[in-house]
Amino acid sequence: MDSLVAQYSRPMHAEEGQTYEDQQELSQMTPELSLKFALPPVASSASWLRAMTDDYSNPNCPIKIAHGTTTLAFRFKGGIIVATDSRATAGNWIASQTVKKVIEINNCLLGTMAGGAADCQYWLAFLGMQCRLHELRHKRRISVAAASKILANLVYSYKGMGLSMGTMCAGVTPQEGPALYYIDSDGTRLAGNLFCVGSGQTFAYGVLDASYKYDLSDEEALELGRRSILAATHRDAYSGGFINLYHVKEDGWVKHGFSDTNPIFWKTKLEKGEFSNVTADLV
Amino acid sequence: MGGFDFSNHNRNAALHAQGVPLPKATSTGTTIVGCLFDGGVVIAADTRATSGPIVADKNCEKLHYIAPQIWCAGAGTAADTEFTTAIISSNLELHALSTGRKPRVVTCMTLLKQHLFRHQGHIGAYLVVAGVDPTGAHLFTVHAHGSTDKLPYVTMGSGSLAAMSVFETQWKGKLTKDEAVKLCADAIQAGIFNDLGSGSNVDVAVITAEKTTLMRNYITPNVRERKARNYRFPKGTTAVLNEKIIKKEEISKYVTVHELEDDSVTATAETMDTS
Amino acid sequence: MAALFSGAPPQGGPGYSFKQTPTMAPSGERQHGFYPYTDNGGSTLGISGADFTIMAGDTRSTSGYNINTRYAPKLFKIGGEGPDNKGARIVLSVVGFAADGDALKERLDTIVKMYKYQHGKPMSVSACAQRLSHVLYNKRFFPYYVHAILGGIDEDGKGALYSYDPVGSYEREQCRAAGAAASLIMPFLDNQVNFKNQYEPGSGTGHDLQAKVAQPLPRDTVESIVRDAFTSAVERHIEVGDGLQMMIITPNGVEETFTPLKRD
Repeated sequence: MDSLVAQYSRPMHAEEGQTYEDQQELSQMTPELSLKFALPPVASSASWLRAMTDDYSNPNCPIKIAHGTTTLAFRFKGGIIVATDSRATAGNWIASQTVKKVIEINNCLLGTMAGGAADCQYWLAFLGMQCRLHELRHKRRISVAAASKILANLVYSYKGMGLSMGTMCAGVTPQEGPALYYIDSDGTRLAGNLFCVGSGQTFAYGVLDASYKYDLSDEEALELGRRSILAATHRDAYSGGFINLYHVKEDGWVKHGFSDTNPIFWKTKLEKGEFSNVTADLV
Repeated sequence: MGGFDFSNHNRNAALHAQGVPLPKATSTGTTIVGCLFDGGVVIAADTRATSGPIVADKNCEKLHYIAPQIWCAGAGTAADTEFTTAIISSNLELHALSTGRKPRVVTCMTLLKQHLFRHQGHIGAYLVVAGVDPTGAHLFTVHAHGSTDKLPYVTMGSGSLAAMSVFETQWKGKLTKDEAVKLCADAIQAGIFNDLGSGSNVDVAVITAEKTTLMRNYITPNVRERKARNYRFPKGTTAVLNEKIIKKEEISKYVTVHELEDDSVTATAETMDTS
Repeated sequence: MAALFSGAPPQGGPGYSFKQTPTMAPSGERQHGFYPYTDNGGSTLGISGADFTIMAGDTRSTSGYNINTRYAPKLFKIGGEGPDNKGARIVLSVVGFAADGDALKERLDTIVKMYKYQHGKPMSVSACAQRLSHVLYNKRFFPYYVHAILGGIDEDGKGALYSYDPVGSYEREQCRAAGAAASLIMPFLDNQVNFKNQYEPGSGTGHDLQAKVAQPLPRDTVESIVRDAFTSAVERHIEVGDGLQMMIITPNGVEETFTPLKRD
């Protein structure tokens, strides 16, 4: 029966002179979100790419790729808090102050972005696609463990090619409960309760570790996430801009604003008496 | 004579080896030219000073005084041309005082090349030396490593090829003063428009046996047009967290205060164009 | 996790410390004979308004201290009809390496045209923006040496502007400057378009002073801001000059203007 159906149901355009594949070839060269990449015509493409784009090993590299970040996520009794700053830097240049570093993979899975902005955007979009395909194939949502492993395996297959990403996958599923994974471009994949990633990670850890406990209330947890990012934007030159806050719960994630750090800083200082090292007094 | 302090040399070499970039000197990307004519010599320069791709000074002076009848156009590192010409100027003045004669252009050129050769090209001064002395009108170029040339028309700097193309097509023997000035100005303009390191205005100096005429901004082909909008901010636009008023009486504890008459304008040397 | 995110800032970071500075930069350990890029200078910018988007770029093409040409457009209409791209509603601006820019434009143009032939409707700006990101990322390991900006009108009729890094990370923004004079123009745009560092006079004292809120600017204001940005960039950047090409995208079409700039 299935073979009969297949035999007599063909898409309309298959009747035309060119096949769909032919047209794809014509219009796209490579299909969207593909795994086929153009490579430079040299023996060691990875080190060539590093010489051209890695401003850490070569400050005079001609192509500056957006970098730098503070991101954090932690598990607590009410779910998972995900918070990031919003600054992108290319060398010493602030390329943008309004980057969305939390990527909404689907309505209950979040990814965060640290390292190469394009790498994270592209591969988390790719992950979103794979997650949707998993849903369609298996008629249930993908677990966070499986989603994070897709990403980890993927970046591991590109190891040494120069991908740069440090990302966290946060989500809640019925089988796992709230789950949090850290994946980076070296191929590391770790499950955990608390992660900070990026150039400002140490500053965020400092605040987060001091007051973190699992029994935090929702409000306390959101405030702790916000305060940790604020500390990082205050001390790390490569972090700043806006604080992007998310709360992942059983029935999906909730966004808690994309708010400017400057008024939050002054509010924290004046109302709570913190940041007393900063003063507006004249000598 | 002073000399250079090399005490930081080893430290800087070590830093450079570690990958710290050297500080960027302001260089005068520059087109400079010179041309002899019947009875004298003309030199000319553009007025752009750059630091990398950024224009550091839109109207700088690249024609330097050495002696009343000897002038010098400088290309290369701005500080080096400035100080080298100043040192040689003062040495030449001492020399003129001790000999009791007017200084000669060759003397100046020789002092320059000896000074530059001694420093093996580390002083990045590329110069066009021109002047009139009792032996006639002379025109030389001096390179940073100490080599020199004596020619009827010369160009130097990043715009030297553009400028030389003008000389090679239009120069003839027996130029009049006005023709020479025009030729030099045209050569500089070729540099201004075709070389990115050169720009803004044309400065010209004409030296004859009688006198030297410096024509600062002889041609200004690059006047900035008016801005389309007014960028004056209303008072109170800037956030002020704290303010402190220091009265005249308090200031006079630290510095001497001179009273000015109310209608005196000497207090402001230059008024900023805020339109 | 260690190497990439060790907290040490790239580029040596603040101060002259022996520990933090990269150790192999100029010493020529990694020499590559293969250098396929040239910087052709120039600058571009885009500002989006309530019902329009303005894209602009200078027309000088340079290499080193030389001018290749005084008229090389950096703005391209994408996905119109025929060789002049009639009826196009999307404009791409590319600055950096001109040959890569041209290749990128050709690719995107073909894609948008094929989309129209296959689907029988023009591609939306948001779809085109995402596709451009993928085109750039497809060359992640051999990047296009360009900064791209894409402008158009979105599905709600509002001005849309997307900016890209060389390997395809992208973001929708109000305004963006790219290229040689980006560091000169962008702070000006932050102040004049998004009113950064401007406060409402008399709205309070000290910390109560209210920040000036950005709202979409009218078209003639944006046009004069663009002109001033470029005439000022020409004054202070040697690679910017000769001519200003502007494209104003409205729901009724793309208007193109050209204004001479200083040529020194």
